[in-house]
Amino acid sequence: MRHPLRLRLLLRDLAAGSAFGAMAVSGQLPLWALGVFFTALVLALFNVRLVARHSRLSALGLLVAAVLLGLQLTSGAMNAVVAACSFAGLIAAQRMLSTPDAAAEGQTHLTGLLMVAGGAALSGDMTYALCLIAFGVLASLALALGVVEAAVPDGEPVPVRAVMRPLSAGLAFAVTGAVAFFVLFPRLNWAMVGPRSAPGLGAVSSAGYSNTVRLGGAGTIKGNPRVVLRALLTPDPGTDALDAYWVGRTYDTFDGLEWSNVVGAQQTERQITLRPASDTLLHQRIELLPAYGARTLIALETPSRLGNAMAHTPTGTRTSPVQLQGGGEVRFTVTAPSYTYEAYSLPPDARAGLSSALLEAEKDQLLALPTRLDPRLAQLAARVLQGEKEPLAAARRLASFLQRDYAYTLDQEGTSADPLSDFLFVRKAGHCEHFATALTLMLRTQGIGARLATGFFGGTRVDGGYLVRAGDAHAWTHVLVPGRGFVTVDATPPSHRSSQGPVLLEKLLAIYEAVEARWRNSVVDYSFRDQFELASALVRPPRPPPGARESAAPSRLPPPRAWATAAVIAFLVWRVGRLASRWTGRAPVLEATRFLDRVDAALQKAHVPRFEHETLEDLTTRLAREGHPLALALTPLTRRYLEARFGGRALREGEAEHLLATLRRALDAEAERRAAKPASQTSPTARAS
Amino acid sequence: MRPPARPSFKARLRAFFRPPRTLSVTKTGRTYLVVTFGVGLGALNTGNNLLYLLLGLLLSMVVVSGVLSERCLRDLTVRRVGADAAFAREPFAYRWAVSRKTGHGFALTFSEDLSPLTGTGKLGHLPAGREHIVRADLAAPHRGPLRLSGVRVTTTWPLGLFAKTRVFPLDGMLLVYPRRGYACNEPGPAERGPRGEAGSPRHLDGTGDVAGLRELGVNEDARRVHWLKSAAAGRLLKVEREREERRVWKLALESGLTGDALERRCEELAAQAHQLLDGGNEVGLQLPERALRPSAGASQERRILQALAWVGFEDADVGAEREAA
Repeated sequence: MRHPLRLRLLLRDLAAGSAFGAMAVSGQLPLWALGVFFTALVLALFNVRLVARHSRLSALGLLVAAVLLGLQLTSGAMNAVVAACSFAGLIAAQRMLSTPDAAAEGQTHLTGLLMVAGGAALSGDMTYALCLIAFGVLASLALALGVVEAAVPDGEPVPVRAVMRPLSAGLAFAVTGAVAFFVLFPRLNWAMVGPRSAPGLGAVSSAGYSNTVRLGGAGTIKGNPRVVLRALLTPDPGTDALDAYWVGRTYDTFDGLEWSNVVGAQQTERQITLRPASDTLLHQRIELLPAYGARTLIALETPSRLGNAMAHTPTGTRTSPVQLQGGGEVRFTVTAPSYTYEAYSLPPDARAGLSSALLEAEKDQLLALPTRLDPRLAQLAARVLQGEKEPLAAARRLASFLQRDYAYTLDQEGTSADPLSDFLFVRKAGHCEHFATALTLMLRTQGIGARLATGFFGGTRVDGGYLVRAGDAHAWTHVLVPGRGFVTVDATPPSHRSSQGPVLLEKLLAIYEAVEARWRNSVVDYSFRDQFELASALVRPPRPPPGARESAAPSRLPPPRAWATAAVIAFLVWRVGRLASRWTGRAPVLEATRFLDRVDAALQKAHVPRFEHETLEDLTTRLAREGHPLALALTPLTRRYLEARFGGRALREGEAEHLLATLRRALDAEAERRAAKPASQTSPTARAS
Repeated sequence: MRPPARPSFKARLRAFFRPPRTLSVTKTGRTYLVVTFGVGLGALNTGNNLLYLLLGLLLSMVVVSGVLSERCLRDLTVRRVGADAAFAREPFAYRWAVSRKTGHGFALTFSEDLSPLTGTGKLGHLPAGREHIVRADLAAPHRGPLRLSGVRVTTTWPLGLFAKTRVFPLDGMLLVYPRRGYACNEPGPAERGPRGEAGSPRHLDGTGDVAGLRELGVNEDARRVHWLKSAAAGRLLKVEREREERRVWKLALESGLTGDALERRCEELAAQAHQLLDGGNEVGLQLPERALRPSAGASQERRILQALAWVGFEDADVGAEREAA
């Protein structure tokens, strides 16, 4: 039995790995599926065909996996697309570990194709594109090598290098064609069934924006460098690093373990107004990226108005109304991987005042304490404050105390029944939620109203806007100051408020995020409108330069790019016409040949056939030399045949019939002449007799 | 003077409807097209741009496949080298010579167009500038002359999704000899007569000079055993002596045979001729319409096989000659 080419198997397995990666980047596949596939991939790359002798057993295992996935699907624990993609991955794994025969090859490539399609439904990430290209290249190489290998006789080497060159050119052509198709094909959307899209790998997964916040539960996101928010600020602060709080929501009730709110959803509008506007509002144009993974709108402190939201779903962009929740949270009503919206915030030094939407129930909760609060908390607060009753001064004194005597750490080993006491009196180290909760509760024990606020801190300037990362997620305290409303006081040490990720990684990711932003704008969000604008931009007359005189009449001629496009299209049409004429070029030749056949038939019928190897031209020449009467009729007919057959001048419609009719008349005349000749010869003979 | 040659109406009709390239979808290609169709539906349904991108790539690969396979079949020059001897209903070696001036050809499969010959020859890579001989094991279903009209060259390059075929018109004829089988009947008595004074070492089993010793075969005459040498060697050795008289067999094909009876008779005559000629005898052949004079050797066997291959196809021979004219 012939051994398959090792390189081809490697390419096939890597192609399957790329296809699986196209799904895996969505972050939706279950961990066990990831584990099974990547284990199978590693084994296959090392040429360990684990189930080659146990194909039936492994098929049984696939059946069991299908049943389990089906159960998860019916119970609602898993999305149908995710279940299908997971199963495709398992099939690919089983095929990779099987005997590498033709059937296994085809099925591996097929599952790869299905996985790539599934990945398109699951992920909008740019890494999907990389996986797609990798799959296209690797699978094509594997297929091409397989085709050549099947035709190479046993014992002879497979010409790998010779295969690569023409195939590379073909792949480049295919990628170009795919881009052209993508740009030019009219974007249609029947929208009969729309799958849910995913935020992708590294998503913050709500970053604490669930209905409750469990103390210590979200500490690990501090090192996540993924960009979750991109904002354009007006007026532009102009600083490289923004020293600002981006608030998402606040919490007023603490039960000793979790923060929650007493008030639920209130109203749904296109735009929610939280506070009265002022003349100096800070406008924000915010884009929430898929890595954000939640539906809470974020705005700079102190938000006044939020709304005009657009949800970017896989089925297109649409308007999303927003809903006011408890704790000043404003939430999108449409689930989508990414959003854009507008927000207006009061500047930090403005008098914010109490939110008009703050209910009495919420106000009462600002002093509420858990029933089993450690009494040492109040004692510690009183000892630190030493009689200070002014809310803001007291809050700042407590914050200074916490920053000075307590350490910042993301290490959250173990669980505690009373995490706050554990932080204050045992570990004396914690992250932003511990600091903010401690400050809030200590203020409440002293009769000062306060609440927990969550959101992001900071912002890095990129391309004139600001990026906020998942690691910038933060929690702080809102102190209720009479006459001023809520004032932000942050107990977390300043150096640990923003992202704690590695700087180099952040820089690299900033580049990646910039590329991905272009990808998202140019590819994922590409729409019929973009196509229309692209076509319009091609023919739109150029605008006058900024320095040009207004009196100068704008040019009505299309821009050079329109001429260039027209030239390219004309060239393509010309080329297609050439090809078509070459393709249809057989028709005139066939027509001339058929004409010759009919001439031959007519001549044969009249007993004037051509000799063997005698062309029509030779026949005409011979008849002319012999002084045959038919030569006169045949000469123009022969010339016309030669023109049609070899001269590129096809016979016109009905011309062949006309020429043949002429020939037939000449033949009839010749026949009559021959018939008349013996009769005329008979008479003299008769007279002689 | 003969009228100009003209192909039959059937051949012209077939040529008229035959496209210059034929394209068939392979099993992998069918699956690929189904998936492409599904991705297209998904793209139209969801408006997912990534599905549009994937659809574009899949469709582009179809176009690339067509272009590359066309380039693969273009500029090819094929000639038929043929077979040394083709026997009915058994594989025989067959060869084509193929070359190209520019470019590369990949995964080429060769076969005879519109002929009952089964089997294909394969060539993995055809670089430019060199003539390659493609070998194949073909099989013919029956004896007789086979008209060859062209060579089919097929490629599934580059992805194995489609098999594109080009037919190179190349007239020819392959004479298929009768099947090599066993002779059930005896060929009958030989015509005996003196050969002259000189014996021939190729004519053995006679009573002349000793030609050699060889081991006694099964069912051979024990009277020919050389006992002295056999005792020395420890095994039975037979004396072979030259035959001074000639043995000539004149095999005959009865007239009036048709169909399977004719086929069986031709096969039997071929087998008898082979056995007799192999034994150094002279064999002649009497056919209903012609006769071959007795002679010996491989060339005589070839002549007999050719004559037997043409039996029943004399009209085709005349027709072929007419068409050739």
